[in-house]
Amino acid sequence: MNATMPSPAATARAPILRADNVCKAFTSGTLRTQVLNDLSLSIDPGELTLISGPSGCGKSTLLAILSGLQKVDSGRVHALGSELGQLDLRALERFRLQHTGFVFQGFNLFPALTALEQVELPLNHMGMSKQEARERARRSLEEVGLSHRFKLRPSELSGGEKQRVAIARALAKEPELLFADEPTSALDAANGQTIIDILHTIAHTHGTTVLCVSHDPRLVAHADRVLAMEDGRILSDRRLGAGASKETPP
Amino acid sequence: MVALARKTLVYEWRRFLPAILAVGFAGLLQLLQLALVLGIFGATSVYITGSSGDVWVGFPGTQSVGSGRSIDANVESRILMDPAVTHVEPYEWVDGDWRGAGNTGGVSVFVSGIDTAADGLMFSKVLSPALRARLAEPDAVVVDRADLGKLGVALGGTATINGRRVRVVGVGSGLRGLGGVNVLTSLDTARRLDSDNDDIGPTYLVAKIADPAQAKAVARRLRGSKAFGPYTTWSAADFARISVRYWLFDTGAGAGVLFLAGIVFLVGAVITSQTLVGAVQGSVREYATLNALGVGVGALRKVVLEQAFWVGALGLAGATVLGAFLLLGARAEDVPVTLGPVAALACIALVMGQAAVSGMAAMRSMRRIDPATLLR
Ligand SMILES: Nc1ncnc2c1ncn2[C@@H]1O[C@H](COP(=O)(O)OP(=O)(O)OP(=O)(O)O)[C@@H](O)[C@H]1O
Ligand SMILES: [Mg+2]
Repeated sequence: MNATMPSPAATARAPILRADNVCKAFTSGTLRTQVLNDLSLSIDPGELTLISGPSGCGKSTLLAILSGLQKVDSGRVHALGSELGQLDLRALERFRLQHTGFVFQGFNLFPALTALEQVELPLNHMGMSKQEARERARRSLEEVGLSHRFKLRPSELSGGEKQRVAIARALAKEPELLFADEPTSALDAANGQTIIDILHTIAHTHGTTVLCVSHDPRLVAHADRVLAMEDGRILSDRRLGAGASKETPP
Repeated sequence: MVALARKTLVYEWRRFLPAILAVGFAGLLQLLQLALVLGIFGATSVYITGSSGDVWVGFPGTQSVGSGRSIDANVESRILMDPAVTHVEPYEWVDGDWRGAGNTGGVSVFVSGIDTAADGLMFSKVLSPALRARLAEPDAVVVDRADLGKLGVALGGTATINGRRVRVVGVGSGLRGLGGVNVLTSLDTARRLDSDNDDIGPTYLVAKIADPAQAKAVARRLRGSKAFGPYTTWSAADFARISVRYWLFDTGAGAGVLFLAGIVFLVGAVITSQTLVGAVQGSVREYATLNALGVGVGALRKVVLEQAFWVGALGLAGATVLGAFLLLGARAEDVPVTLGPVAALACIALVMGQAAVSGMAAMRSMRRIDPATLLR
């Protein structure tokens, strides 16, 4: 576990997101399921990291814990220099407001709002002026290729377009961390391709750290780094760009 | 700011319609019930509210206009001595048994003997000067148009009260009473119809004062003298209130009104809160997404409260339009309905209170919003 404990000199290039010996179990009735088992990992900034693994292995749970949506049983999560376990509910909300974006499997768009309004809404709560929120929303939608769809409501958008609005909504906040849970599983191959390309571009042009969970093998080729999970542990850690692949012991 | 609450309300109006209707109809029911009760029981004080007397003088302890006892006629000079009093006139109340020409049996009537002079105070607001003048004829009576059938007479017809012949010389409106039919006569005619030999003077004295705003103070000042036998004084507004309250509680109608108002409030609130809860549940994933993005639960609660407010406001608008039509219709059909500003404000407060209670109940259901459930 030495690898995850940074020396003072290394702090400047410290991983942006780090989990140390995280354990998480769920109890329903008398049955106790250990979902994350002494898991440690560190995510580097400005990359698209893909977490893959079989169904039920704990990928979504890991994402919820790394993003501060769920508490750990034991272990620590450090994100952007804060230890998430020490923040209360309000502080966590503030942390998420300032630093994180989310893209979920479902698009979760308000039926009553136009694409532009969906993206503007969270910005309004960040204390941004009306003009700035509108301007940023426009830019984000243009970036995901929806400049001609500003005024349309979810019922008038295709599935892929809806997911792109959801990405624009997360992106407009200009977060350091972007979490995506199965963002392509409700889409066909072509649309899924577009989405993963957008996420990849975001990581590289904005320097956003993108953490994406998926069991879609087609996405693997687009990631900078792929973590394979099984039974609550990281089994392998591969870097694709460098061609090199290093295995970390569980 | 994106107006999420309003935009959702407009876009998903079908979802919110039941709540708006529930609030609206609950409001309408409260409004009509209040107007009807105030209208019906307001009739018990028509003698006061239909007249321009500012101060009333009567037997101590009188609980409603209809239960007065005669006072000493000499009290009149005591009242006139007060510099604020500009005019005093007697008012005779006689309980009578009406026998009409038609097949109506005996009808219990309240005979009001009033001053027929042109500047008379009694019923000055509901009796035209021409009708008042015709009352000066011996044995002339005026009744409400709507009571003719009940009395079994036509205009110009004759009947008897307490065995004495009277003639209907005119019909008015706004003269209906509660518990009996109001019959207006001159003071002389009323005294002739009075079969109670113990009556030594008028039932009431009604006074006009220079500044009606001082009615309460003048009434207090005129009280207390015992030189002419027992009497007491009220301002017209106080006496009207005493009369209406006596009837409301004597008949149990007051308790009934409160009970019904409570039930209507409750049913409306349940339907409204359930609709709002449904709307929250329908958007729970969207709310959770916003919360994941860092929008606080407090801000999300405000959305629901704002929706509740709009539901209340729209329901209120509907109830007001419909209520106005129904009240006008009721007036045209001689159904007694009254709605003052206080009662109208009470209805508005009730409706908005209902929306607020429903909104809070719906807000409780937002505790289930957990962004972690979006990650599965
Ligand atoms: N709130 C919960 N209560 C009880 N058990 C839970 C809860 N959340 C997750 N689990 C259990 O934890 C395990 C891992 O769940 P998780 O959602 O992390 O899997 P996953 O890797 O995302 O699977 P998939 O690829 O199917 O989405 C599952 O067995 C699930 O039943
Ligand atoms: Mg999952």
